[in-house]
Amino acid sequence: MKLLVIAEQRQGKWNNTSFETLVAAQQIAAATSGTVSAAVVGKSVAALAEELATKDVAEVLLVEHELLESYTPDGYCTGLKQVIEAATPDLVLFPHTYQVRDFAPALAAMLGKGMVGDCVGFRNEGGKLVFVRQMFQGKTVADVTFMGAAPWFASFQSGAFRADLLTAHRSGKAPVNAAKVELKAADIRTKPLEMFKEAKSAVDLTQAPVIVAIGRGIKARENIVQAEALAKALGGEIAATRPICDEGWLPLERQIGSSGQTVAPKLYLALGISGAIQHVVGMKGSRTIVAVNKDQHAPIFEIADYGIVADIFEVIPALTAELQKTKG
Amino acid sequence: MNTIVCIKQVPAKDAPLAIAGNWINESDIGFEMNEPDSYALEEALQLKEKHGGKVVALSLGPERVKQTIHEALAKGADRGIYIADDHFAQLDPLGAAKVLAAVIAKEKYDLVLTGLQSDDCGFGQTGVLLAGLLNLPHATIIMQIDVQDGEMKLKRELEAGWFQWIVCPLPAVLSIQSGINKVRYATMKGIIAAKKKQILTVPKDSLGVTVEPTQKIEKIYVPTKTKKTEFLTGTPKEMAAKLVQKLRVERRVI
Amino acid sequence: MTIQREQLEADVLIVGAGPAGLGCALHLANLITKHNASGAKPELSPENIYVLEKGREMGAHQLSGAILDPRGLRELVPDFEKTAPLDTPVTNDGVYFLSKSRAWKLPITPPPLANHGNYIVSLNKIVKWLGGLVEKEGVNLFTKFAGKELIYQGHGVAGVLTEDKGVDKNGKPKENFTPGYELRAKVTVLSEGTHGSLTKELVNRLKLDGLNPQVFGIGVKELWEMQPGRIEPGFVAHTMGWPLGSDMYGGGWVYGMRDNRVSLGSVVALEYANPEFDPHEAFQKFKTHPFVRRILEGGTLVRYGAKTLPYGGWYSMPRTYVDGALIIGDSASMLNAQRLKGIHTAIKSGMLAAETILEALKAGDTSTKTLKLYQEKIDQSYIKEELWKVRNFHQAFHGGLWKGMVHAALQYISGGRGLVDPMRSEAGYKDYAKRNGNGTLVDQSTRFKGDGKLTFDRLTDVFHSGTRHEEDQPSHLKVRDLDICSSRCVEEYGNPCQYFCPAAVYEMVKEGDGSKLKINAANCVHCKTCDIADPYQIIDWTVPEGGGGPSYDGM
Repeated sequence: MKLLVIAEQRQGKWNNTSFETLVAAQQIAAATSGTVSAAVVGKSVAALAEELATKDVAEVLLVEHELLESYTPDGYCTGLKQVIEAATPDLVLFPHTYQVRDFAPALAAMLGKGMVGDCVGFRNEGGKLVFVRQMFQGKTVADVTFMGAAPWFASFQSGAFRADLLTAHRSGKAPVNAAKVELKAADIRTKPLEMFKEAKSAVDLTQAPVIVAIGRGIKARENIVQAEALAKALGGEIAATRPICDEGWLPLERQIGSSGQTVAPKLYLALGISGAIQHVVGMKGSRTIVAVNKDQHAPIFEIADYGIVADIFEVIPALTAELQKTKG
Repeated sequence: MNTIVCIKQVPAKDAPLAIAGNWINESDIGFEMNEPDSYALEEALQLKEKHGGKVVALSLGPERVKQTIHEALAKGADRGIYIADDHFAQLDPLGAAKVLAAVIAKEKYDLVLTGLQSDDCGFGQTGVLLAGLLNLPHATIIMQIDVQDGEMKLKRELEAGWFQWIVCPLPAVLSIQSGINKVRYATMKGIIAAKKKQILTVPKDSLGVTVEPTQKIEKIYVPTKTKKTEFLTGTPKEMAAKLVQKLRVERRVI
Repeated sequence: MTIQREQLEADVLIVGAGPAGLGCALHLANLITKHNASGAKPELSPENIYVLEKGREMGAHQLSGAILDPRGLRELVPDFEKTAPLDTPVTNDGVYFLSKSRAWKLPITPPPLANHGNYIVSLNKIVKWLGGLVEKEGVNLFTKFAGKELIYQGHGVAGVLTEDKGVDKNGKPKENFTPGYELRAKVTVLSEGTHGSLTKELVNRLKLDGLNPQVFGIGVKELWEMQPGRIEPGFVAHTMGWPLGSDMYGGGWVYGMRDNRVSLGSVVALEYANPEFDPHEAFQKFKTHPFVRRILEGGTLVRYGAKTLPYGGWYSMPRTYVDGALIIGDSASMLNAQRLKGIHTAIKSGMLAAETILEALKAGDTSTKTLKLYQEKIDQSYIKEELWKVRNFHQAFHGGLWKGMVHAALQYISGGRGLVDPMRSEAGYKDYAKRNGNGTLVDQSTRFKGDGKLTFDRLTDVFHSGTRHEEDQPSHLKVRDLDICSSRCVEEYGNPCQYFCPAAVYEMVKEGDGSKLKINAANCVHCKTCDIADPYQIIDWTVPEGGGGPSYDGM
């Protein structure tokens, strides 16, 4: 099986989930005796291509064009269509980023194919690839298979694979080949303007890689600042169960649960949260769950990977100190 | 500014899910308008208030989805189109988009809006596919639409708190981000008026769309818990150190 | 804030789309069609009948066991046996007495509880179906709209104000603020179900109380999917005894439905002495009895719900008509407590109201002069015939189970008269025994947790009721004097709201040296227990923003 991973960059910087997708590709290749190629798209991104070439891939495609400097759906679709037609991969993989959501399904459709997006894993069942994705807001998962001939298109959810498992190229470096694309200005109908960060951006917990959540065990509004410090030390966001937001101690947008947000970060730290089902349905898809509660029978421990039965007011400062220490 | 809004009807968020093979048992559960689509509808209604024109609510599925079209009409959409298909749940994203596109192609419009994704399947592809099939420019995760002189300036959401403005011509397809507006309530007068608004019924088979499935949902299941909780011991300081170690080395999440 | 409200006018406004309200709407629509066809004047239209329903969709707030006596439905929809979503006919009836570990079936099922010819139904489904029929007639049905306040006029009612939508927690209008309507109607029909909030206000204001105050029981129900074959569809068991003491009025039920579904629950009269009694916990215990456990083991919980029932019977019915308004169904306490059936009387009362309304509209008079016809019709119908015979039934048990059985038997052979007629009673909250508390909050950490498989804590159960409310809105549970909670109630009763609410809405939390009441309004399942059972009668259950509340699919 021939795999092609479309890695994502913006203004010369990688979207790191691209490496997770490469890991997925390597694993699929291993299971199907396949080969993995990687592509990088943009303008003046040769250095990035060289970096990709040091990974264990068979080939790197450098897809450069003046009109691909900034991302546009038309540019990427038109350009990558040509790349795929030339390279004839069986399976085209993407990281499931905001950008990929914006063009990849259309790209697949241009080639008359469908895309299975936001997958959390795959299985090889006797030669047939089965992709696993969540449905019903994470309450269930579904096994999805492709129908019809290749190429097939799929994207993987952030955190579904571990980027640190990416293996380096065995003999040094893979060949970097320029992939020729023809694009005219008239092909590109939308015009991207400046990018900016908003001064007061609303928090989107679904994008946070780490979440520190507090429950009733926090006891008082004054204590939240401790949890916020821990969140900062972890590079994450603070969140809460409904009672905390009900009291007005944190805004409603920080609420996680059946009447708030549903999240699945890499790390979810549940502090002083009992684990009522209303809360658990909003976070049980998290990759790693750590629960701290002084009640050893708290239901939260049933879904935790790591449990600490102790007073959160002793554990929080200890954790924060430990993190700051090892960060240097 | 004539807008077509594609609205999906989905099982109610808190309906007890009874899995049946590759879908769910639909008896005894409530259905409602897909929440992300309600933001798209609200956006369409606000555009109509600003720029005039008509809003058409479009939905695909079995008879029950007409209830959702009624809701859209009660909120202010001018007319509805109901594409009748009892086996809608078995359509893949490309198939559904092809059916919708076949109907939209017959209409006159400036803008097609969809929500970002559906709360049941969550494919999130409909808007993008529609644009491809209708050969229209598109943009997704739209936070704001400013219309001026026949084109749009759109605010698009990127990851990590970043945003971008894009200039996009009309006609176009947009996927609207949830939460960009405050969804209005249907009023009693709106509900009464909705009864007189037209809903065109289009049987799916009358469209002459051949749908070759590109993917198949083999089965749906509840993920099995293979988790075993590891309880840490020691003083808080010791446990903190152990935890950081494990998270760093074993789990690699920090 | 002073709000400009839009006005709407209808001929008839029906508040509450349950079996009574929909029975009224459907029958009236049929009568109007016949009336117009006969050329009679004035010409009327079913479109001028407005029905308000606070739930998200038809049937969302309907909860009952339920065993349907079909006589009401048969009159309303003659071909109902072919078209109504009846689950299964009753095939096997039994009354059981439970002790902690055993169950004795009574050799003869007492005739009132003999259910041959009746159907096990999901009231939610029946109401959904009825709603469809009503809509087909052109009646205007408004789901997600609540009757917030009555509009009074002269000695009666002129209509209803619907609730304001889009108001934040602090009472301020949000971006999508939509004021309620001033809905005027020639006749307003209050069919709000058990302990209706508008009904409560109307009865108090115009002094419509019957001879006895209304009294209620709380029913806690779960719908399960059991392992196949444990009981057959049509299996009906009513139980007495464990876990309730003989001083408590109530019992349990288990009904076998199709597709391996089981409806089960327990009901307790809200007239018990122990303020710390927890009806939800009692139901969970009920499930652990071997009789029930063997049915449920290996099964899964599908839905949970709770609702009160009006037990009071004939003498507790309020006056059912005022200028411009009628009270029907459970709101008028038409449940037959002996047979545990109220759906058929609700439907019948709706139909009688419809007939009365037609006369009123024809005569152009909607004052009590014409509307009193409604009560006359009730008196001449099987509603009175049935309820008169059991007019003292519930009250008979006030002295305990065994005394009650004696009274009931004597009533049975004397057409309802028994030893004392009328048997007077008081409102249930007066039955609490005061405790000599020392002012400290009762420790809540020992509350029932459940095993998560057969039994559940309240929060887990509430999750399965599908209840949701717009989070950012004022609390719909109005407590008139919060000081009482943290001062008197802590000592006198130990804050029973923490126990009698089946949805864990009320909590007493520490605040400084004292305590305060925390209200988790979003958990509310609209059962009305708090308004009924609070010892100081300071809780007013008011309608939240429409669309909120439980989702009783299949219940």
